[in-house]
Amino acid sequence: MSYSHDVLVVGAGLAGQRAALEAFRAGANVGVISKLHPLRSHSVAAQGGINAALGPGDSPEGHIYDTVKGSDYLADQDAAKILCTEAGPCVIEMEHFGTIFNRAPDGSLDRRAFGGASKSRTIYSADRTGLALLQALYEELGRERAITVYEEWDALELVMKDGRVHGLVGLHRKTSKIEGFSAKAVVIATGPAGRIYGKTTNSHSSTGDGNAIAYRAGAYLKDMEFVQFHPTALPHTSILITEGARGEGGMLKNSKGERFMERYAPNFKDLASRDVVSRAIVTEVREGRGFPDGTVHLELMHLGREKIESKLQEIVEITRKFIGIDPVTQGIPVFPAQHYMMGGVHTDPKGATNLPGLYAAGEAACVSVHGANRLGANSLLDTLVFGKISGAEAAAWAKKTSSATVTQGEVDAVTTRIHTMWERKEGETVVKLRNEMQNAMDEKVGVYRRPDELLAALAKISELKDRYRNVYVSDKSTTFNLNLIEAIELGNMLDQAEVLVAGAVARTESRGAHVRMDFPNRDDAQWLKHTMALPSKEGPVLTYLPVTITDYQPKARSY
Amino acid sequence: MVAIPFEVSRSAGPGQKPRFDKFTVNVSEETPILTALLQIRSELDPSLGLRYSCRQAICGSCAMRVNGKSRLVCSTPVGPEFRAHGKVVIEPMANQPVVKDLITDMTPFWDRYRRVHPHLILDPAHPLPKDKESSMTPEQFDQFKETPRCIACGACYSACPALGSDDEFLGPMALAKMYRFVVDPRDSAYRQRLATIQNQSLWLCLRCNMCVEACPKDVRPAERIVDLKRLAIQELGAPEQGSRHAEKFMTNIEDGGVLNEMKLARETLGIFGTLKQIPKGIQMMRHGRSLKKHPPIQGVQEVKVIYSELNKPEDLMHRPRPAGKGVKGGGQ
Repeated sequence: MSYSHDVLVVGAGLAGQRAALEAFRAGANVGVISKLHPLRSHSVAAQGGINAALGPGDSPEGHIYDTVKGSDYLADQDAAKILCTEAGPCVIEMEHFGTIFNRAPDGSLDRRAFGGASKSRTIYSADRTGLALLQALYEELGRERAITVYEEWDALELVMKDGRVHGLVGLHRKTSKIEGFSAKAVVIATGPAGRIYGKTTNSHSSTGDGNAIAYRAGAYLKDMEFVQFHPTALPHTSILITEGARGEGGMLKNSKGERFMERYAPNFKDLASRDVVSRAIVTEVREGRGFPDGTVHLELMHLGREKIESKLQEIVEITRKFIGIDPVTQGIPVFPAQHYMMGGVHTDPKGATNLPGLYAAGEAACVSVHGANRLGANSLLDTLVFGKISGAEAAAWAKKTSSATVTQGEVDAVTTRIHTMWERKEGETVVKLRNEMQNAMDEKVGVYRRPDELLAALAKISELKDRYRNVYVSDKSTTFNLNLIEAIELGNMLDQAEVLVAGAVARTESRGAHVRMDFPNRDDAQWLKHTMALPSKEGPVLTYLPVTITDYQPKARSY
Repeated sequence: MVAIPFEVSRSAGPGQKPRFDKFTVNVSEETPILTALLQIRSELDPSLGLRYSCRQAICGSCAMRVNGKSRLVCSTPVGPEFRAHGKVVIEPMANQPVVKDLITDMTPFWDRYRRVHPHLILDPAHPLPKDKESSMTPEQFDQFKETPRCIACGACYSACPALGSDDEFLGPMALAKMYRFVVDPRDSAYRQRLATIQNQSLWLCLRCNMCVEACPKDVRPAERIVDLKRLAIQELGAPEQGSRHAEKFMTNIEDGGVLNEMKLARETLGIFGTLKQIPKGIQMMRHGRSLKKHPPIQGVQEVKVIYSELNKPEDLMHRPRPAGKGVKGGGQ
């Protein structure tokens, strides 16, 4: 059996669903393939809100400037302009789709303060804004009956012919059958590969499969070395505690009771950009001012029970249920954890990659609007704005493209590769290899990066890639074989980890979230450029692309 | 660290009879059950099938039965279950076919969800403001109660004992979702939505509160079903059996402080309808059930006082329509 669409979207989170909706509206025959039910997508986990300059005295220009400054000047300013000017219409459209946003007393959309923003421009739904948006978009998409959603299918490889996309090969979890999906255009919207780290706020499903298959097919991965560490995650589990907690007035305190952010960011304090706050926390703990469990505390107590329990409802539930701490009366222990990938599949501001017919959007993509450090509440915005644009562009491409085919031979080639791995009778387990990868990334490619550690991590990933060729899948059953799925995901993650570390080794400067102990300063003369990676037999080949600068010349960055 | 005995339901595929596999997991008592199950997958049996993703009670993937109760396992710790039962028995959700191990086919759940038209229905005569958000007061926002927290995990659906009895019954999640749209000031299908459920689904809820107990997000579906019943009778009267039954139940008790079943049957079903119930009545009496009219209870006067309070304008049944649901515009 094989399936055929004009536009096939891979991933059904906010970016994927928004792309599907737009491609459908443009008249395309649209399919969506996702390894999860759409409502289980990682977009659901976004907490704090979505930025749009809708408040009095605010403007898209102010939002653009904050975004560019937050990016440490690595964002492409033409793309940031699109993001911020489309923000208002995007949020209003989502409201009209039925999103339940918090309201101000006058009936308008309420706003909260967020990190790195000069104005209060974060629209929110308590501390579950991702859930609110994903539900509303899914429900809007539910009207469009002609969109086929292939739930619980994994995308394995893209099919490229005559220099353009013809579709992909996928695996159905329910049966383990491997089948072809022909499509004139494919939109990658599979989110991030946060799970290459062990200490991550990301869902277990965040393995960046779309990025890996795009890369193997010849698409550039861009700026992968820029990894955001969210300042406030719970110890051990790395469950996210929203920046909205500080937006509502929460404060970080060290073990001496000092509000230490006053020293690191005299103006923005606890609401400095995330890279700044994460470094401050790591520094406090390293210099002995952390709590005995190696954390600092996020204090909300002074906000009062009513505000905490209404505006930060999910945080209250998380802290009470998962660590037995009541934020109404106690500080929440927090430490930075991997949270967001600024990098991803390289696209232009229309979502197009270097491969004709291949598009990407959301966290999987790198346009780049976030540069070296993303501002909080800009990621939900990114998914919707560029999801919509890439969906329209994919439909337009499909319209002018004659046909697409995936042959049985092409399906068989992928099947053989998967089955060779699956039928192996011995080897190393997925769990062992994955743990080693995650430990290497946690320990050696974190908030502060040392050259010797980066090189050791690169060697480790390379070694793991070799050992992966001998990975052992002990489960031979064909219904929901998670052992097999995890092996496939591990291969995808190793490809991305290699690019990430190679980019970090090469970039001899400190910018945004990439901080080299041996090169502590930003170096615009050498490094005001994007890292572009393509695969080769010897590993990633790195080239560089200039940053688009329009209105804001790089200058020193302080909060 | 405690050695916790797990018994996990295993099933090779649809239609296969499940067996229970035993595992012992060494974890601390506060460890979420999901973490323990993933430890089983990593260390003991990689073939164990379950759905999971966010591990923070927001994606809704990991609902299953824990010692018989429907739970989201990522936010349910091992300790209390172990202490109460001496072991942790894990089974897939109920009311759905099993695909493998702890994975179910949730099609029946999603079908019911779709049957409530879960999207805004707009009145072309009253479009939403162009290029601007709809106005919604904080009071209107509060009308949603906890329904926006629903993560569609299916725990309530799994816990509901009424779902087995009638395919028409929408079940707790879908009805809570219906409530979310009924009270939405942007939605224009207020009457129509209430009419579609008043006829049948609303009255099949047993009010057992199992869904309230199972819901990991405190959505309290049973309470929203009660809200819907109230709104339906208030908006549409009592044109059918379920609503009539509810209304007559209330007046019935007022008389003597105790239910007069014969009178209730007559008033709900009519004389002809009651006659049709005679075989059932005989069966009930054979099983020792008395259908005789009870004399008024002691303190029936206090019951009457309660009723006089209930009939005051501010009471439940006499509340105004939800804000934004006026006679004109959105309410029609």
